[in-house]
Amino acid sequence: MGFFGFYTSDDEKRKEEVRTGARAPDRTERKQCWDARDSYFRCLDSQNVIDALGPTGRKQAEKHCAAEGRAFDQNCAAAWVTYFKKSRVAEFKKKATLQRIEREQAGKVAVRGPGDAPAATR
Amino acid sequence: MASSTSSASRSLSLAHPARTLLRSAALRAAAPHPHPHPQAPSLPPCRRSISSSSSSCSPCPSPSRPRPLPSSSSFRSTLAEQRRYKAKTVEEARSRNRTGPFSWKAGVLFVATGAALVWYFEHEKQRMQRKRVAEATKGVGKPQVGGEFHLVDHEGRPFDSGELRGRYSLVYFGFTHCPDICPEELDKMARMYDLVEAERPGAVKPVFITCDPARDDPATLKSYLAEFHKGFLGLTGTYEDIRDVCKAYRVYFSTPKDVKPGQDYLVDHSIYFYLMDPEGDFVEALGRQHSPEQAAKVILDHVKDWRGGWRR
Repeated sequence: MGFFGFYTSDDEKRKEEVRTGARAPDRTERKQCWDARDSYFRCLDSQNVIDALGPTGRKQAEKHCAAEGRAFDQNCAAAWVTYFKKSRVAEFKKKATLQRIEREQAGKVAVRGPGDAPAATR
Repeated sequence: MASSTSSASRSLSLAHPARTLLRSAALRAAAPHPHPHPQAPSLPPCRRSISSSSSSCSPCPSPSRPRPLPSSSSFRSTLAEQRRYKAKTVEEARSRNRTGPFSWKAGVLFVATGAALVWYFEHEKQRMQRKRVAEATKGVGKPQVGGEFHLVDHEGRPFDSGELRGRYSLVYFGFTHCPDICPEELDKMARMYDLVEAERPGAVKPVFITCDPARDDPATLKSYLAEFHKGFLGLTGTYEDIRDVCKAYRVYFSTPKDVKPGQDYLVDHSIYFYLMDPEGDFVEALGRQHSPEQAAKVILDHVKDWRGGWRR
C-alpha cells in the first residue's frame, strides 16, 4: 500500500503500478488477475447478477461478493476491472441474442469473402 | 499381329455355328409373320438380315477382306502356329473367358489412376483457391493493405519495412496493457510460428506492432514479447507513425492522442493476423476462428506456393 509515495516492498510497488496502469502486467500477473476475475464472476453467477456496474447489481455484488470483489480489484488494473465487468454484460447479451435467433429458427448463412480461409482449412 | 490373325481365324471358325443359330432365330422370328414378303425366298432374307444387323460378325468373307483361304500347306503351318500360340496362352484365354477384359491388374490400375486423378484435381483446386486469395490483393498501383513504414524495433533501433522483404511476415497489432484477447492471440501466434518454423525455418517473421506508442516503449515491448516468443519482432514509434501504419493496414484503433502520465486506458483495435508475402503485399487475414494448427497450415501452403525470391 502506498503511503506518501513510500511502499512497503518492491512487490507492493509493482502491484500498485499494475493497478494504476503505469506498468503492463506480466504473464503471472495476468494469470492472477484472470483467476481473481473468474472467482468473482462465479460468485456473481451464484447471485444471478449479470451487470455488476448497474445500480441493483452493484448493491447485490457488494453485499454478497465483497471478498471476491476486493481480490479482483487488488490483482487487476482498474481499467481491466471495468472492462471485464462490461464485457461480461456484453457476452451475456450476445448469448441471449444468439439463443433468441436459434429459437426463431433462423438458419445459419455462411457468408464468404476473399478474407476468409479456404474451405480446406476450416 | 499374331493375336489379331488368330482371333480373325477364330471368328471364321466360329462363324458356321453362329450363322446357323442366327438363321434359325431369324426364321423363327419370320415364321409367325402373317404376310411374309412374297418374293423373298427363305434363305436370302436371312442372310440379308444377318449382314445388315451385324456387319462385323458377317459370316461371309466380305469384299473388304480379299485374303483368300490359305493353301493346304500354309494352312497346316498356320494351324501349327495357332496350336503353339494357344498352348502358350491357354491360361490367359481361360481367364479372359471367365472375366472378360478385366483382370486384377487392370482393376488395380483403374482404381489407382482414379485415385491419383481425384487427388491431383483436389490439390490443384486448393492451390488455385489459395492463388486466388493471394492475388486478390496483388495489383497494379498502391497496395490495398500494408505498405512502407519507418518505426523503431524492440531494441530501440530504427526499423524500415524493407527489412521484412524476402520472407513472409505475420503482422499483429496490439498493446501490452491488453486485458485478455491480445495475450491469448500472441500465445497462438507463438504456437503458429513454431509450427511453421519446424517445417520452413526462416520463411516467416512474426511482427508485433503496438497501437499504444505512448506506453509501449522498446524496453516494455522487449520484456512483454519475450514472454511469448523470443523470435517476435516488436515495433513502436511516434503517435503519428503508428497512426499511419494502422491506417495502411486498415486497423481500427482508438488510442487517445494526449495521455497524461499515469492515466490508465484501454485501446480498441482490430485483432487479425496479417499475412504479408515476401514482396510486402497482403495475402490473407487470419482471425480468431483459426486454431494455431489451421493457421500454420494456411501459412505453410502459401509459403510453398511462393515462386518469387527468398532472402538468402
